Amino acid sequence: MSEYSPDVVRKLEEKANQMRQDIVVMVGAAQSGHPGGSLSAADIVAALYFNVMRYDVKNPKWADRDRFVLSKGHASPVLYAALAEAGFFPRAEIITFRNINSHLQGHPDMKKLAGVEFTTGSLGQGLSGAGGMAIAGKLDKKDYRVFCMIGDGESEEGQIWEAAMSAAHYKLDNLTAITDWNGLQIDGPNAEIMNVNPLPDKWRAFGWNVIEIDGHDFTQILDALSPESRVEGKPTMIIAKTVKGKGVSFMENACDWHGKAPSEEQVKTALAELCA
Amino acid sequence: MSEQLHDLEMRAVYARTLIELANENPNIICMEADLSKASGTNPAFLTAHPDRFINAGVAEADMICIAGGMAVEGKIPFCASFTPFATRRVYDQVTISVAYANTNVKIVGTAPGITAGPNGGTHMCFQDMAIMRAMPNMIVLSPCDTYELRECIKWMAAHEGPVYVQLSRMKQPAVFDESYRFNPDKAVKVREGKDVTLVTTGYMTQFAVKAANELAAEGITVDLLHYPSVKPFDTATLIESAKKTGKVVTVENQSIIGGLGGAVCETLSENHPTPVKRLGIPDKFGEVATEDYLFGKHGFGVEHIKKACR
Ligand SMILES: Cc1ncc(C[n+]2csc(CCOP(=O)(O)OP(=O)(O)O)c2C)c(N)n1
Ligand SMILES: [Mg+2]
Repeated sequence: MSEYSPDVVRKLEEKANQMRQDIVVMVGAAQSGHPGGSLSAADIVAALYFNVMRYDVKNPKWADRDRFVLSKGHASPVLYAALAEAGFFPRAEIITFRNINSHLQGHPDMKKLAGVEFTTGSLGQGLSGAGGMAIAGKLDKKDYRVFCMIGDGESEEGQIWEAAMSAAHYKLDNLTAITDWNGLQIDGPNAEIMNVNPLPDKWRAFGWNVIEIDGHDFTQILDALSPESRVEGKPTMIIAKTVKGKGVSFMENACDWHGKAPSEEQVKTALAELCA
Repeated sequence: MSEQLHDLEMRAVYARTLIELANENPNIICMEADLSKASGTNPAFLTAHPDRFINAGVAEADMICIAGGMAVEGKIPFCASFTPFATRRVYDQVTISVAYANTNVKIVGTAPGITAGPNGGTHMCFQDMAIMRAMPNMIVLSPCDTYELRECIKWMAAHEGPVYVQLSRMKQPAVFDESYRFNPDKAVKVREGKDVTLVTTGYMTQFAVKAANELAAEGITVDLLHYPSVKPFDTATLIESAKKTGKVVTVENQSIIGGLGGAVCETLSENHPTPVKRLGIPDKFGEVATEDYLFGKHGFGVEHIKKACR
């Protein structure tokens, strides 16, 4: 494992914390949206946008930028929080989430918001799209990387396994996917609704370079996302064990908070916890 | 006062009716794809008949073809998901394993059209009625209230063959009452009039009724035809009404391409050409919005219906 300076880790912790606050504020203001899977993904998305990925907010379509596709599009608040923090749009606008005519649509819309790389929300499609971007990168002799986050419930979609096959077949070593392995979907725990396990073995069997990490440990996250963790000729899958609702005690591991908005009171409690 | 059916959410009535059917018929199966709370079958059906509650997980294509296989073995599966995932997501699976194979599978599309509200464009499906209608062997229903929904679900269970039904999930004002009986071959004449024929289905019927009542106060009488079944489509009632009024308006919670308005235009142009104004969503995708906003933007709320009828 690499050593990262305390400053690097502290900065990411601060970014992730700010993003979690923004997620709570957004979903609270909209009185609609998906806090659980946004909070579980916050540390990984923070590491991507504030350490790993190469991009230019002034030039969102820069041809050499790294790409991030949020295949589990219902977690749009985590993406919007990162894009606001990175400067793609003013943070003050986060409270327009899910408002009429807002560029912060219920699910990420690439035609409405700069920085959104692929339109998602119908589960199972984003990983194929990310594979397409990776193939294009190879054809164009570009060295950009493509990142894609999928959900564990989303992994029940057959199309995820079609993408698993095609990305390995086309040797997409410029593609790194992350599974937000929080163990929960809408109707209950994956294990009870539709068992997706053993995930690491499945991805290995499909020909991927598989890395298992704690998705809330920045050292492990940075190691897994670093270019050195890649294997030539194989796409990489990071299976990140996470806690759904992470950072807000009453949302943690509570299935109910998948797609429910906190009351004004609950927003206050959550923010107080995050700011403590 | 005792509880009335229209005090319940539509999804609660869906679940309750399915439980009643399952109590009597061991072949009734409730299928879900990780949206069972949204459909209302969890916890109701799950607790009543846990062995006949099959959750496919987030795997709609699998759900539909599992249902096809179960139907071959004599089961009667009711498969629910949000309308986009119950129809366009699985269009080929439904086409082949359900319609072409003519298996006894029932498909329930929840949160149709603009009722998908804050979820926005990915979840706001405007074309399910059109694409399901274009499929041979498929029956397409869209009940407007709890009384009609209950009758439709019972009819679906009794009917041998593929059926698609739109299910708006929340409470809906009563258009009918306990005496309502469903007939797929018959439009329901909700108001009798002579000035204009207004054709509606499903979620929009409540607004059409309101428009017709308000127009009556202005002295305009509306022949209001509600179609719980858009396929089969009762052509006779429409033609007869068009002959009487000479003017037809259609309104639907769908794209104006290929759905109810499409069925009306096909029928009239071949049988009794009549001017038709179609209200609904023009050739556009959905977005995060309120009902009122979308009514205004696309022009198919009560005021627009009235204007088109004048
Ligand atoms: C094709 C499709 N089917 C169903 C849904 C509805 N839906 C939204 S989130 C979700 C569960 C996803 O679970 P998971 O991937 O584990 O998400 P997370 O726990 O990370 O929030 C479902 C079924 C959808 N958006 N798309
Ligand atoms: Mg999950």
